[in-house]
Amino acid sequence: MIKFDNVSKKFPLGNIALKDVSFEIADNEFVFLVGPSGAGKTTILKLIMRQYAPSEGTIIVDDFDLSSQNFQPVGELRKRIGIVFQDFKVLLDKNVMENVALSLRVLGFHEQQITKAVREALELVGLKGKERMFPAQLSAGELQRVAIARAVVGNRQIIIADEPTGNLDPKTAWEIMKIFKKLEGEKTILFATHNTDIVNSLRKRVLILKEGSLTKDLKKGGYEL
Amino acid sequence: MNEIITSIRRTPYQSLASFLILFFTLFLSLFFFNLTSFFNGILSYVETRPQVTVYFQNQTKESDIFKLRDSVVSSGKTQSVKYISKEDALKIYRDLNKNNPLLLEMVTADILPASLEIYASKPEYLAQIAEYLKKQPGVDEVIFQKDIVNKLISLTTGLRRVSLFVLLFLLLIAFIVLMTTTAFKIALKKEEIELLHLLGASNMYIRKPFLYEGMLFGLASGTLAFAIFYLIFLYFFPFLSSYFTGIPSLSFYWLGNFGLYVWPPSAYFLLLSYVITVLFGSLIGFVGNYLSTSKYIK
Repeated sequence: MIKFDNVSKKFPLGNIALKDVSFEIADNEFVFLVGPSGAGKTTILKLIMRQYAPSEGTIIVDDFDLSSQNFQPVGELRKRIGIVFQDFKVLLDKNVMENVALSLRVLGFHEQQITKAVREALELVGLKGKERMFPAQLSAGELQRVAIARAVVGNRQIIIADEPTGNLDPKTAWEIMKIFKKLEGEKTILFATHNTDIVNSLRKRVLILKEGSLTKDLKKGGYEL
Repeated sequence: MNEIITSIRRTPYQSLASFLILFFTLFLSLFFFNLTSFFNGILSYVETRPQVTVYFQNQTKESDIFKLRDSVVSSGKTQSVKYISKEDALKIYRDLNKNNPLLLEMVTADILPASLEIYASKPEYLAQIAEYLKKQPGVDEVIFQKDIVNKLISLTTGLRRVSLFVLLFLLLIAFIVLMTTTAFKIALKKEEIELLHLLGASNMYIRKPFLYEGMLFGLASGTLAFAIFYLIFLYFFPFLSSYFTGIPSLSFYWLGNFGLYVWPPSAYFLLLSYVITVLFGSLIGFVGNYLSTSKYIK
């Protein structure tokens, strides 16, 4: 569960990234977070990941209250969250297996469990048989699949995706969306995107942001730029 | 282990710099440790020797020596006085040179002097006893051990100070080099560290490979420093043995009871040297990388 209650975020130089944003995402819900550049999408994701502390308001993620300026169990919080970036953030000197295993090592899995769990995750994202390949040998779509496998492996229950199709061509973007569709109902997914086609086709709940404020919360929404 | 090997492969020159500075620091530490141990061994040996030894001229009669011994004892300034006859001296000489038959062939009891070994009841009587003995007829030489002990104490103290200064200087350099190379390695792994933080890794989890790497470098460079030092030592051992002929087995005071002989170095002393070297190396590697990671991984 992710809950924002009148959350605002002001940066030290005075610019306001979020103003009184409130919403609640239930467990295993799939939600799109949309809005133009600078609307506050990434700020919301960073607040959930506790890369930022809120200036005002309450943020609850599962049983963690992130409102305190001195929130300590950041590592424990992040161990429940898988994150997918627009630029993949796949480590170039590690092969596919090692990149995905990184997530499990942080969670404290043993080597035997890691091998099994990585294979399952790679099968889920359609990269079976490419365990030993290095990022330089993979396409952009495959790199994003590696990133998704890394995010979902180890039973991380919340998936945060920050414009994961932003660097992909439409066909590959749809293939990536199919993987997210497979996860629907199993994990809480917050998917930040600009891609109107994807949002409008899938007809999921949409949170629309504009200039730091939540302007609409559509249960089966569409989206126009 | 894989991470450490990858880190070394990715930054070979920085790793070599870390390794070499640790190697030189540990090699010199080992050198000073052995030198200080040797001088401490000499010191503890000398301290167990008689404080004043009087050698008599060849023609001095035994009865005159006994008279002198009695007069010294009656002064009340001595704790004990031991007479070493010419025959006793020959026996001691034979014991000391039992491995060198050439030195034994030409020596007879006649050419060795009789002597008195005197222990004073208080250190301040030593000079008075020595002065008194020097004036007696038939006395050939008076060896006043306190001078030797004092010289050895000042030598070992000086050596310890020089060792400490050199080691502190080397430690400082080692820490600076380790911190710089580790900072470089951290910069190279910046993306991975950021990602690990986002995946929920604690700072200690991220720092661990750097700390293990530092300890491994300490262990490896300590082992190499030990191996090279003792290869050099073994090469010069025959020369040193002949140079130090007459010096018996040396130990640090009571440590000889545990077989810790610094000269000739016993297996236990070699083992102790190795353990101290690698522990010291691992500690330097650990602390250097701990300081660096504390500063740069937050």
